[in-house]
Amino acid sequence: MHDLLFRLRTLFRLHAVENELHDELCFHLEQQVTKYVKSGMTEAEAVRRARLEFGGLDQVKDECREARGISFFETLVQDLSYTTRTLLRTPAFTSCAVLTLALGIGANTAIFSVVNSVLLNPLPYPNPQELLAARQNESRPNLKDMQRLTSSFSSSGGVNVTPMDFNGKGEPVRIHAAFVDAGLLPTLGVQPTLGRWISADEDVKGGPRNVLVSYPFWRDFLGSDAHVLGKSIRLSGNSYTVIGVMPSTFALPKETVDIFVSLWAAYPEAAPNREVHFMHTYWRLRPEVTLSQAQAEIAQVDRRIAEQFPDGERDRRTMLVPLHDWLVGNIRTAILVLFGSVGLVLLIACANFAMLLMARSVARQRELMIRASLGAKNSRLIRQRLTESTLLALLGGAAGLVVAKLGTTFLLALKPAALQRFAAIHMDLRVFLFVFAVSLVTGLLFGLLPAWSASRGDIAEALRENARAPCSGTSRSRLRSFLVTAEIALALILLAGAGLLIKGFLHLRSVNPGFNPANIMTMYLQLPATRYPEIPSETNFRRELLARINALPGVQAAMISDLPLAGNYVGHRVLIDGRPAPAVGTEPLVQTLSIMGDYFGVMQVPIRAGRDFQPTDREGQPLVAIVNEAFVRQHLPNQKPIGSRIDWIRRDEPHKWMTIVGVAGDVKHSGLSQPVDPAVYAPFSQNDEAWRRFMTFVIKTEGPIAGLVEEVKKQVWSLDSQIPVSDIQSMDGRMAVSVAQERFNMLLLGIFAVLALTLAGVGIYGMIAYRVNQRTHDIGVYIALGAQHRDVLRLIMKDGIKLTLLGIVVGLAGAIALTRLMVSLLFEVKPADPATLIGVALLLAAAALLACYIPARRALSIQPINALRCE
Amino acid sequence: MPSPSIELPQGTLDLLILRTLALEPLHGWGISERIQQISNDMLRVQQGALYPTLHRLERRGWIEARWGASDNNRRVKFYELTKTGRQQLEIERQAWEKLAAVVSQILETA
Repeated sequence: MHDLLFRLRTLFRLHAVENELHDELCFHLEQQVTKYVKSGMTEAEAVRRARLEFGGLDQVKDECREARGISFFETLVQDLSYTTRTLLRTPAFTSCAVLTLALGIGANTAIFSVVNSVLLNPLPYPNPQELLAARQNESRPNLKDMQRLTSSFSSSGGVNVTPMDFNGKGEPVRIHAAFVDAGLLPTLGVQPTLGRWISADEDVKGGPRNVLVSYPFWRDFLGSDAHVLGKSIRLSGNSYTVIGVMPSTFALPKETVDIFVSLWAAYPEAAPNREVHFMHTYWRLRPEVTLSQAQAEIAQVDRRIAEQFPDGERDRRTMLVPLHDWLVGNIRTAILVLFGSVGLVLLIACANFAMLLMARSVARQRELMIRASLGAKNSRLIRQRLTESTLLALLGGAAGLVVAKLGTTFLLALKPAALQRFAAIHMDLRVFLFVFAVSLVTGLLFGLLPAWSASRGDIAEALRENARAPCSGTSRSRLRSFLVTAEIALALILLAGAGLLIKGFLHLRSVNPGFNPANIMTMYLQLPATRYPEIPSETNFRRELLARINALPGVQAAMISDLPLAGNYVGHRVLIDGRPAPAVGTEPLVQTLSIMGDYFGVMQVPIRAGRDFQPTDREGQPLVAIVNEAFVRQHLPNQKPIGSRIDWIRRDEPHKWMTIVGVAGDVKHSGLSQPVDPAVYAPFSQNDEAWRRFMTFVIKTEGPIAGLVEEVKKQVWSLDSQIPVSDIQSMDGRMAVSVAQERFNMLLLGIFAVLALTLAGVGIYGMIAYRVNQRTHDIGVYIALGAQHRDVLRLIMKDGIKLTLLGIVVGLAGAIALTRLMVSLLFEVKPADPATLIGVALLLAAAALLACYIPARRALSIQPINALRCE
Repeated sequence: MPSPSIELPQGTLDLLILRTLALEPLHGWGISERIQQISNDMLRVQQGALYPTLHRLERRGWIEARWGASDNNRRVKFYELTKTGRQQLEIERQAWEKLAAVVSQILETA
C-alpha cells in the first residue's frame, strides 16, 4: 500500500520529484568539493575528484528513478515526449508510416466490421443458438403434423411471403405480407411493442382477419398511431383488424415484410393444401435436445408422412440447420476470402512499416551510438524504438478508423444483394478493440524486428556499416530482402485472386442471357382476388391493359408471369402424351410461365422451331404451348417436339393436353451462372389456374421516354384505381442486380490487389532508393572508373530483380495453394488458371521493375566528385 | 596516505545506512561521511551508489525524507528512521551477527 502511494506520488509529482533529485545530488557534490578545497586542493581539482568519486550523474539519477519504482511510467512519459519530438522533426517519415498503416488497418477494419456484423454478431432473437431452419419449404398441413408428432422442439412456425395491396390514403401500394401460422412469432420469441401475437385459436379455418404490422409500416402508413389497436386497414380488398405492432428492431430471419397475418385468414385456399410447399419453417430446440436428436426425430416423422401420403410426399428429406448457418451459408466464403485478402494487405503494409523503421534507425545510427556510449542501456534504446513504433501504429490505427469509416460507406453503397439484410453493418466496440489490438501488435512486433536486429549488432559493426562498407550480408539487409520478397509474394497472391475474380466476372457478363435487355422497362402487378375472383375477369383486365399500353406512341409491351432473373417461378410436374406415365411423384418438374402479347418479340427470344403464339391462341381455342430448348433436350430427345402433347399432372380430372407449337431459345431464368431449366410457356388466356393473378410487364421503347412509367401507371389506374404498380426497374438494372454479389467480390478484391501492388512497389522502391543512398560513394567511384550507365543500372537493379523473381515464384506457389479456397466464387475459371497467373506475374514484374528503375536512375546522376567529397 | 579500504559486501549498505540514521537524521552526504569516519576510512562507499539505496529504502518505508536547512542554510533533504525502519534494523542486525558468527566459526574450526 505504502509502495503504491509512494509510486503514485512520484508519478503525479514527476516534475517536483525530478527537481528534488537534482538538488539532492548537487548538494552532495558541492559538499564534497568544499571538503576537498578545505583540505587544500585547488577548486578545479576538487571538482574533478568529486565527480570521479561520485560516478556519472545521469546514471545515478537513472538508478535512483529505478529505485523509486517510477521508471516504467516515467520512462514512458519521457520516451513519449522524446518520440513525439523526433517524429515531428521528420514529417515525411511520420506521414509515410502512418499512411501505410492507415491503409492496411483501415481496409481491415472495414472488412472486419462486415465480418463482425454478419458472421460474429448473434441473431437478434432470445437464445438464438436454439433456433433452426429447415432447408425445405413445407405446406401447412405437413407443418402441423410435424409439430404434433415431434417433441424435440419447444415451438416452431412457418411463414410465406406474398405481396398484398394496401389501400391507405395515398397511391395504392404493394406491400409484403407474411402469411404465418400461430407458432412463428413465439418461436422467434420477440414480443410486440403494442398489442399481442396471433393466438393459436385464431389461426384456424374461418378465423378472424387480424393483422400485426411492422414498425416501419406503423410509422409510414399508420402515422405511428398509439391507439391503432382495434382499428381496421384494407388489404387486397378485405378489411383486417390491427392487433399488434412489432418492435423497430424486429425482422424475420430472411424475409423483409410489412405485416403479419394468419395464413388461414389471408389465403384459405392454400392453407389446407398439403401439396403447396411454400412456407419457410423455423424451429426452436428444447434446451436439452441436440441437433442430431432433433434431426433423427424429424426423419421419422418424414417417413410417417410419406407412408400416409405417397402421392405427393414420397421424397421427404427434411434437413434442419442452425439458423445462423442457414442465413450466412452463401456469403460466408466470400466474406472469409475478402477478410483473408485484406489480412495479406495488412501484412504488406506492416512489412513496409518495418522497412521504414529500419531505414530510419540506420539514418539515426550515429545518434544512437552516441547515446549508447554515454551510458544509455541497450534495453532502454530498444524500449524507445518500441515506443516510437507503437505510437506510430496507434496513430496509424486511428487514421485507419477514418479510412474504415469511408470504406464501409463505400461497401454499403455497392449494395451487395447478400449483405442487404445486414444493413446494420457498423462499427461497435468489438471493431474498436480489433483495431486497437491490430495496431498494438503491429507496433510491437514490427517495431521489435528492426529494433532487435539493430541492437544485436555491436557498435563496431554499426560503425562499419555507417562507414558505408559495401558488405551487404549483414543481418539487417537480410531481413530487408526477406521483407521485400514476402511483399512481392503476398501481392502476387492477391493479384492472382483478383485476376481470377475479374476473369470469372467477365465470363459471367459475357453469358448470353437468351434475351436482349436493352431499353426494356419492367413492372409488376397483382390482381386482388376480391375484385378478380374468376379467370375471365383477369383475362379481360390483362387484354385491355395491354392494348392501352401498346397504344402509347413508341411502345411495344407484353407480359409474363415470372420475369427472368427476378428470382422465382412456378414449377409444375408434367406428363408427355403417349409415354407411359412415370411413378406418381417422379414426373419431370418444369418451369411454367404464362405470357400475353408478343413476349418473345419484345424480349428478342428467338423461336428456334415451329411458330410463336398468335392472337388466335386464346380462350376457347385448342390449347397450345411453347417449350424451351432445354425441355426438348431433356424430355423430348428422340422426338419431334412440334405437335407433341403435354399436360400438368392432374388428379381426379381428365387431361387437357396442350400441343407444342414452337421451341423458344433458352433463357437464363434463375441467374446468369445457373443452368437453364426446362420451361413451358403457355398463353395467359388459356390459363386455368385462377391464382395466377400476378404478371410482370415488359415494355420496350426505342430509347428512354420521359414519363413512361407515370403514363403506364395512369393506364393501370384508369382500369382499376386500387392496383399498386411495383418493382419498377429496367431489364438492364435487373441484370446488374443479378450479378451484384460477384461484382462486389471482384471490385473489393481488385481494390485490395491494387493496394497491395502499390504498397509492394513502394517497398521495393524504398529498398533500392536506400541502397543507392547508402552506396553513393561506391557508385561515384564506379562511375569515376568509367562504368557505363548500363553497368550502374545493372549494379543497382540486380538485387531488386533477384528478389522480385524470388517473390514471384513463392507467390505463385502460394496462389496455387490459396486460390483453391475461392473456387465457389469463380464462374467458369479454374483456381489455378495459367493465363491469369502468368498475366498477374508479368504485371507484378513490370511494376517491380519500374519501382527499381526510378531510384536506380538517380544513381546515374551521381557526380563522382560530389560523391567522394561526401567523405 | 589513503589506507587500504575494503569493498562493502552485497546488501550490507542497507544495514549501515539504517544504523547510521538510528542516531540522528542526516542528509546523504552526511551519511557517507559518517560511515567513513566511524570505519576510520576503512570502508569505501561508492558515493553514487548511496542514493539509489536511499531512495529504495524510502520506497520501502524504512526511512523518511524531510526537507530542512543545512549548517550553511541550504535546502537539504534529511533522512530519518521510521518505526518499521527501526524494526528492520533490529532484524538485519541479528541476521548479520548470526552470519558473522557462523562465518568466523567456520574460519576458526575448519
